[in-house]
Amino acid sequence: MKKMIVLNVNGETHEVAVNPWKTLVDVLRNDLRLTGAKRACEMGTCGACTVIMDGQAILSCLTLAVECEGHLITTIEGIEGPDGLHSLQKSFIENGAVQCGFCTPGIIMTAKALLDENPNPDDIEIKDALSGNYCRCTGHIKTIEAVRMAAQTDREGD
Amino acid sequence: MPIKAKEYGVIGKRQPKKDGLLKTTGRSQFTDDIILPGMLYGKIIRSPLARGKIIKIDTKRAERLAGVKAVITQKDCPGIMTDLDRQLLCNDTVNFVGDEVAAVAAIDDDTAAEAAALIKIEYKPLEALFSIEKANDKGAPVIHSGHENNYADEFDYEIGNVDEAFSVSEYVRVGEYAFNPNHNCYAEHHVVIADYSIPGKLSIWMPNQSPLFIQKSMGGILGISEGNVRVFNLNTGGAFSGRIGPRKHDFIAALLSKKSLRPVKIRCTADEEFIVYSGGGYSRYIIKTGVMKDGTIKATDATYLFDCGAYWISGVNFLHRLKYHLFPQIYHMNALRWKERAIYTNNPPNMYPHGAGFLQLKLAQETELDLIAQDLGMDPVEIRLKNAVSKGDTNLTRAHYASCGLKECIQKTTKISLWKKKYGKLPPYKGIGIGCGAMNSGGYDRSAALVKIGEDGRCSLFIGLPDMGQGSHTTMAMIAAETLGIATEDVDIVAGDTDAAPFDIGAFAQRGTFFTGNAVKVACLDAKKQLAAVASKKLGVKPSMLIFRDRKIFPKGKPGKALTLKDVISSDMNSMGGSCIMGRGFYNSPAKTMEPWESTLAYSFGAQVAEVEVDQETGIVTLIRVTVAHDVGFAINPMAVEGQIDGQVFSGMGQIMTEECIMERGVVLNPSFLDYRLPRTFEVPEIDYSIVETIDPYGPFGAKEVGEGPLVCTMAIANAVSNAIGYPVKEYPITPERVLQAIQNKKKAKGNEPLDRLF
Repeated sequence: MKKMIVLNVNGETHEVAVNPWKTLVDVLRNDLRLTGAKRACEMGTCGACTVIMDGQAILSCLTLAVECEGHLITTIEGIEGPDGLHSLQKSFIENGAVQCGFCTPGIIMTAKALLDENPNPDDIEIKDALSGNYCRCTGHIKTIEAVRMAAQTDREGD
Repeated sequence: MPIKAKEYGVIGKRQPKKDGLLKTTGRSQFTDDIILPGMLYGKIIRSPLARGKIIKIDTKRAERLAGVKAVITQKDCPGIMTDLDRQLLCNDTVNFVGDEVAAVAAIDDDTAAEAAALIKIEYKPLEALFSIEKANDKGAPVIHSGHENNYADEFDYEIGNVDEAFSVSEYVRVGEYAFNPNHNCYAEHHVVIADYSIPGKLSIWMPNQSPLFIQKSMGGILGISEGNVRVFNLNTGGAFSGRIGPRKHDFIAALLSKKSLRPVKIRCTADEEFIVYSGGGYSRYIIKTGVMKDGTIKATDATYLFDCGAYWISGVNFLHRLKYHLFPQIYHMNALRWKERAIYTNNPPNMYPHGAGFLQLKLAQETELDLIAQDLGMDPVEIRLKNAVSKGDTNLTRAHYASCGLKECIQKTTKISLWKKKYGKLPPYKGIGIGCGAMNSGGYDRSAALVKIGEDGRCSLFIGLPDMGQGSHTTMAMIAAETLGIATEDVDIVAGDTDAAPFDIGAFAQRGTFFTGNAVKVACLDAKKQLAAVASKKLGVKPSMLIFRDRKIFPKGKPGKALTLKDVISSDMNSMGGSCIMGRGFYNSPAKTMEPWESTLAYSFGAQVAEVEVDQETGIVTLIRVTVAHDVGFAINPMAVEGQIDGQVFSGMGQIMTEECIMERGVVLNPSFLDYRLPRTFEVPEIDYSIVETIDPYGPFGAKEVGEGPLVCTMAIANAVSNAIGYPVKEYPITPERVLQAIQNKKKAKGNEPLDRLF
């Protein structure tokens, strides 16, 4: 039996009917058609489905959609501002941190949650935050660099 | 004479990827992001047995379930073989855990899963084989009739007088190396959408490296012409030489669509991902090397045994035969003997891991070379330089090197890593190792490209080359922009649909930059010639005197007279008798008498030095630093070259140090990205790059491949581990258990093993 729920995603409210066993990633992708969060391992091992809920990076494949009512969800589609790309998005492009791009939204969302809480992370803290994000193409070298550079840009801008 | 990099306007400069904005904002579409109107969801019913007879299949209950639109078994595809030994759906025998027996399509995933559970299949178990040793035993069951010895493939090759070369050798060494199964672990799981609802026309969406091979293979097997297979290649979430041809689920989705008359999506779950992976199977190398006392290599005699699993994937597995090319690729020798045996077992079908299994061969060869150097009292760098090929050389297997920076790479990487100060002088359990390699830039093949320049001066570049993240589309745009004197952002890439794309074999064998790059250059030169004809009339100078730069055309030395590209195109197109600017290009290898696989036009060369630290208590290896020097001919986009090097060092360290499918009775026991140990952020080493440029005479602007060359040089890591322990590790990956075993073996050997004294 489906349940009606209200989800607040990227500042918009959506009323959706969901089966209680459906995960947030499925509802985001199939019902709201926000396909930036990727469905991959579905067991919390790759981080490609990462979104932000109430300021925390969460794995949307391990989160039931019905549990998300009343929470503020941000996906990769919601971080671009009226002035253009988020500093992390710019930094990932400029520093060559994007290759196949499948894991990129998840990595950026994880990094955003980190920088929102800790605007001045050292490399260990960046590696720690990104350690749950799987990436086969970049070897993480340029992704770590991109997060470091985005943090620097943000600090200089403040 | 090629011009210097600094004289180029576009190429040779760091260029962020053209699709960066799409990929960082969640806008880029991958196959699983697509939901087509009326689309169904497929589920495959797989064999739970490693080997057995199918007694009965009952699909009635599944067919009656509300929401089920198609159920298929072997009856729906009688006689259709996807490989010489493999039926599309199993008829009477199953040969591995996961073998495809039936499939369903339903209105949603949940219904499909429910229907799959309602299909009842009765089996009679048969004795199964899980190792190449057992498959080789006398009296072992025969997995495929006609292959009584369970050999799926046998290939022998000999060049030069091997026996004579060994007889004159002053030192001969034999080594045996084992490699456990591994997996490419694509970030994007296997997924396909097939629409075969219009008779005779199949449309298919899937991550892949070669739309052309998908067309040819699927068309051929399903009995339609390849042009009637329309492949949509959007984005591909990792390919790593594993997504060249179609897999079983691609055919199954097509059949389900044909039966239900609706598009069908099949997406592999994490468990299935480790069943359909066709990664690197267990393999073993036995290598005998003959050398002179001064280190000159005389001969190699190699035997390669490969567990191909339950079926022989003939379309791509022929490459196993040809690996012998790697032995004399960078080192001169007089003779080579090669024996390849692929052996059937009841493990899942194997193909090869990232790098086509070349890394494994190089691991065996270069570890042996280190051991020989030590036996002879030579420095590993010295023995490599002694035998290294150079520009202008033709090697034993007839590969010719029109450009070659191997020695320069070795010198550069050893200088930067301070090899001389470190080798043999590091404290116990710290090690340094070197690895060298080369890689072909495609084979003897071909690509086409079309370019259309609009009235506003924007350029649409039609290509059939996929971009799996390596940045090939950006590179092609840069080549077009450089040739036409415009900017990279003026070029739109039109790709990803075989109905629109010109001929291209695909993005594999490291051929993209070289072949499609050359085709793009030819197409743009064609368009440039058309533009020059118009501009020369307007400016009253010969076409050869025109300069194309910054979206303008002007007579040489007179930039003040410049016409914009827009003016030239628009005025001509809109005048009576004028024309439209469209360039076409085709690049084909120059005719040669040799077989296509015997050589290629250009090879990249590289050397790497790795530094490691081994914890003697836990056996954990820390990769500290990798110093890379790679001859890429010319770096069209240095940022992309670095990205390729990063990824390949990472992949190599995974294959060498941690990645292993732990198998038990044909089942992968660790089918997840956590239990299958891949390197993560904390394991990232420091990487120092040196891009060596040798300007290849055939490459576009002198460029060669960088798609797999750096990967085959990562065996430096293994040599560094052996150096740290003081004893070679001969089974891969070098997990902590194997490191501890090597430390034990060293203690047991007590100096009897000649290696001991040499470290």
